[in-house]
Amino acid sequence: MSAPSGQETLPTNKAPKINVAAARRRQRAGEVWREFCSNRSGLIGLVVLAIVIGLALLAPILAPAETLDVTRITAGQNEPPSWANPLGTDPSGRSVLAMLIWGARVSLLVGFSATAVSMVIGTVVGMAAGHFTGWTQAALMRLIDFFLVVPGLVLAIVLSSIIGPGVTTIIVAIGITSWAGTARIVRSQTLTVESRAYIERSWALGASNAHIIRKHVLPAVMPLVLANTTLTVGSAVIAESTLSFLGLGDPSSISWGSMLKMALDTGAATGGFWWYVLSPGLAIVGVVLCFTLVGRALESVINPTLRGR
Amino acid sequence: MSASQLVGAETAKDLDEPGRGTSWLRYVAMKAGGSLFSLVMVVLLGFFAFRILPGDPVRSLADGRQVTAEQMDILRKQYGLDQPVIAQFWRYLTDLFRGNLGDSYTYNRPVMELILDRLGPTLLLTGTAAALSVVLGLWLGQRTAWRRGSMFDKAHTGIALTLWSVPTFWLGLLMLLIFGGTLHWFPTGGMVTAGSTATGLAYVWDVARHLTLPMLTMVAVVYAQYLMVMRASLLEEMSADYLVTARAKGLREDQVRRKHAVPNALLPTVTLIFLTLGGLIGGAVTVETVFSWPGLGYLTFQALSAPDFPLLQGTFVVFSSIVIIMNFFADILYRVLDPRLRTA
Amino acid sequence: MAFHETTEKLTPHSGAKGKPRRRLAAAVLAVSLAMAPLAVAPAANAATETPGTGTILKLALTGDIDSLNPFKAILASSTSILGLEYQSLVAYGPKNNEEIPGMADKWETSPDGKVWTFHMPKDRKWSDGEPITAKDAEWTFKAIQTNDALKQANGGLLESVASVQATDDETLILTLNEPQAPNPGTQLPIMPAHIWSKVPDPATFTNEKDSVGSGPFVISNYDKTSGVTLKANPNYWQGKAKIAGITYVPYKNTDAAVQALKTGEIDIVSSLTPAQYNALKNVDGITTNAGAGRRYQAIGINPGTQTHDGTPMGDGNPALHDLKVRQAIVMAIDNKTLLEKVMQGLGQPATGEVPAAYPLYHWDTKDLPLKYNVTAANALLDEAGYAKGSDGIRVDKQGAPLKLRLMGRNTDPTHQQMADYIKPWLKEIGIDVSTVMKSSAQVNDDSTVGNFDLYFTGWGMGPDPDFQLSINTCASRPNADGTGATSENNFCDPAYDAIYKAQHVELDQTKRSALVSQAQEMIHKSAVNDVMYYANSLEAYRSDKFAPFTTQPELGGVITSQNGPWSFYYATPMADVSSTNATSGGFNAAFVVVPLVIVLLAGGGFVLYRRRRTTSDERE
Repeated sequence: MSAPSGQETLPTNKAPKINVAAARRRQRAGEVWREFCSNRSGLIGLVVLAIVIGLALLAPILAPAETLDVTRITAGQNEPPSWANPLGTDPSGRSVLAMLIWGARVSLLVGFSATAVSMVIGTVVGMAAGHFTGWTQAALMRLIDFFLVVPGLVLAIVLSSIIGPGVTTIIVAIGITSWAGTARIVRSQTLTVESRAYIERSWALGASNAHIIRKHVLPAVMPLVLANTTLTVGSAVIAESTLSFLGLGDPSSISWGSMLKMALDTGAATGGFWWYVLSPGLAIVGVVLCFTLVGRALESVINPTLRGR
Repeated sequence: MSASQLVGAETAKDLDEPGRGTSWLRYVAMKAGGSLFSLVMVVLLGFFAFRILPGDPVRSLADGRQVTAEQMDILRKQYGLDQPVIAQFWRYLTDLFRGNLGDSYTYNRPVMELILDRLGPTLLLTGTAAALSVVLGLWLGQRTAWRRGSMFDKAHTGIALTLWSVPTFWLGLLMLLIFGGTLHWFPTGGMVTAGSTATGLAYVWDVARHLTLPMLTMVAVVYAQYLMVMRASLLEEMSADYLVTARAKGLREDQVRRKHAVPNALLPTVTLIFLTLGGLIGGAVTVETVFSWPGLGYLTFQALSAPDFPLLQGTFVVFSSIVIIMNFFADILYRVLDPRLRTA
Repeated sequence: MAFHETTEKLTPHSGAKGKPRRRLAAAVLAVSLAMAPLAVAPAANAATETPGTGTILKLALTGDIDSLNPFKAILASSTSILGLEYQSLVAYGPKNNEEIPGMADKWETSPDGKVWTFHMPKDRKWSDGEPITAKDAEWTFKAIQTNDALKQANGGLLESVASVQATDDETLILTLNEPQAPNPGTQLPIMPAHIWSKVPDPATFTNEKDSVGSGPFVISNYDKTSGVTLKANPNYWQGKAKIAGITYVPYKNTDAAVQALKTGEIDIVSSLTPAQYNALKNVDGITTNAGAGRRYQAIGINPGTQTHDGTPMGDGNPALHDLKVRQAIVMAIDNKTLLEKVMQGLGQPATGEVPAAYPLYHWDTKDLPLKYNVTAANALLDEAGYAKGSDGIRVDKQGAPLKLRLMGRNTDPTHQQMADYIKPWLKEIGIDVSTVMKSSAQVNDDSTVGNFDLYFTGWGMGPDPDFQLSINTCASRPNADGTGATSENNFCDPAYDAIYKAQHVELDQTKRSALVSQAQEMIHKSAVNDVMYYANSLEAYRSDKFAPFTTQPELGGVITSQNGPWSFYYATPMADVSSTNATSGGFNAAFVVVPLVIVLLAGGGFVLYRRRRTTSDERE
């Protein structure tokens, strides 16, 4: 098969050819979707995630920012759940439910952004390590190995102390410490792809490194990276809460991690305010589980040898 | 702990790396070289990363206390902080070669001594947790794989994945509140009963009781990855031709499993176990904090808040070296175990 | 050793391989089995008694121990332990932090305040039986003066001492560089010369085992895993304590410590949060104590930081150089609400830096010049020429919106809680505030070199206010690189320096108290340090094991972290110690019931879901 390279960018003249490529792609996407739907737990995870993301997006409507302004609050401090505040109130009298919804925004933002950072670094380094040979490869491999073995949490702690507090810091810290796994997967996949005959033919036709990577390797590794990414989001959400727990988070933005931290710091656990301790924790468990289920489902769809797991 | 470990076989060492034809010697040399490189990186990073940490250690020591400017100057001189960074680096390197990690600012004691003090408890905690979760994970992994699609499989995969999604410190706190505070089954923290002078069996018993909650917390969160990898690689093995042959020869199912499938499936899992040890040790930071466990993880965290450069460097170098060396062994072990590589 | 059993049970290769079909909960069961034998072990609150020696008081040690060498120990937990073992020449009494005899029983000052003579009684002994003499005190002072390595902990206390001399075993003469009112014999722990002069290097001596002291308790052992144990000193001059000893049990988080108090593993917990304090209030066998705090909580306002020689430094907002802006900010912050909401009312309203716990030097006024008044604050800003823009935010003299940064520590949850209130309050007077919480070390750095607009600050203090006042003088400003002296808020006013100097040498108590109040009023009016409240020190103890503790001061005082060993020295065990039982008080069913319900619901849902679709897929 000749590589369908570059056609999408010129959609005017060679119309029939594009349609074939696009249609094949659409068809493949449809297949993936159908296979994904047949994985019940993955589907449940996806639906729950969609709901959570929806809630997070609708936060300003569901719980207007004013409801979190402590100077205008009428509810008592640390109130148990009631009809007015279904998940009780925090030590400042804010509704825990409202905070949970707002917290979803930051937690998911951290999760997705950190994963994006990790995915980009991981994919680039992984593809380069697989594609190039000699010194470049050796150096990159050592780099990957190093990040793979250094205790991630310790490194993240160091990073976040250096850059200073804030959501960006957490994103960077998590991103930088979690890309090595992705890089390793991408590298193996790159090696597999590049050993195929059509790549050799491309080489023979004088294709450049950039061309091969962009047109052949990247599309081939992307599905695997995506599945892996979904799993990483879950890890990042947990990592955010762990960093917050260790006092390296950003207390001034409400996230599930910073809520838990505040709950523990103010003694909510022993004070008996279970609604404040359990709600953010359960939210994290639920969302992380959903990401894991979706990730596994995606993976088994993309990598047929894993089917049935 | 990286998420990708839940994916399974891919994360295990890729087979293509040191080609099958390479000789033993070359293989070991390559791996040793890689480990050495990582160690050097750790040593460099250990020094320079912490130097750019914000915060004047001396001013932090003086925080909120009656300290004169002269006193602070004396301290800076004592710690060598008045010298240029490059001179400090040279001192760090030369000391390191003599096995000296410097003196801690906060504790006024050699870092090596402090680390050795806490290394035991950390190894005890992570060691028992690792052993139990590996055993639990592998056992459940092979059973779930063998009975794929059954209620047993679904329930265990579900439980494992759910526990894997729990933030460790939060689970630890709940365990502490439930089993320590409310039910009074276990002590609420520490490694031995305070002030106890017990020795011998009584001491072991005391430590075991203190160890239970932190260890179970760690096990609950990490065993899922072993379960998943074992399950995945066993499933892969089970579709292999030789098993069909084995069955055809009339071997009983559990013999097929025990003699053929499981040993082969263990291979990718072993490497993974070594790879995850780093994550385990890192995870000890939060568990140690929740359960007041007198270990290395908590020491690291304490050192950060000072910031106590020598102590930070020391714990970082020790932590990372343990993992790097473990990894090196994993590579060697892999070579020893993998029949395909061995024949070369 | 239950683990080995468990391990075997779980290992497929070991022993009984018979049962092929272990069902659903096999692993769960195995884990519970592993826990069961441990669970029936001796009740958690095993023994508060050590055979034959009497009651041991167990304290939660939530802070860190840096060293138990008095020359080196800096952290609060270490110094408070050492305060039980070593006395100073002069002590602070339990009644009202008054100066009372310590190692010296009398002292007098020369009329010019430069020469202080301390008389030490003859027949007192160290815990090992050696006599205590003025030579011990002389050795301690001189050791610190002559060896830089020993200056770490207490060098600052000796700055004013020119010479020290023991004229005989009972008389110690301190000559000061200049006259001073604060007693120079109060804080320095006096150490046994016969021990410490013989150790090869006093700076590296750990002093962790069978240590010798003069106070009511001496350290018998420090173990990283099991904590610090002290035993009663039979030679303490006021008589042996009623308890046999004290054990400090390390706890890394207060939630665990509170649980341990409930189960009886420890007897006293301090540094409670208001929520924990309130939760412990109604628990059987536990009594809570909210002692008057020795610490003020404030917001520092950057008046334009300068170095020691007056060169401007830092990146503070120039609008804050204007006294009126600073005053308006102070007036816009409702300290009463903060105390009410953040501390749940557990504290006292503040005036100046010296807390109400020290009435001698506390600035006692009912009518604060800059009390909470939003209207007046707005009027002040209007008058000063900061007009409000269309968005309600005022513009500064350069026409830029008035935006300030509020910095706090991420280690202290109250900072974020207060920031949540202060942000909208300052918006009311047209100032836009952004908050950022940083690590403690970073806050120390930034506040020293003036890289802030507003930040949360606070100091704990001893009974004498001299040091607290000294860090507001012009001389306390740092060097450009942040080294040098420590200034509280980079305040500098020659008039204030004059008052500081005057109180420093004023030997008449009434006059000195008045001067100290005046100094605090000056700081208040210049609006560089808005003192918001004095938080109470929240503590709880097992009242079924111990009689109520002596607090300092006597009324409404603290139990732990006293200036002196009194609460523990006077600690009295209840007669029926043996009847202690782990109270089921404070059983918090919610933490068991709620997760249980969730697990049941999830499990039930799962089973139902499976039921519906299940056929015979359980068969292999």
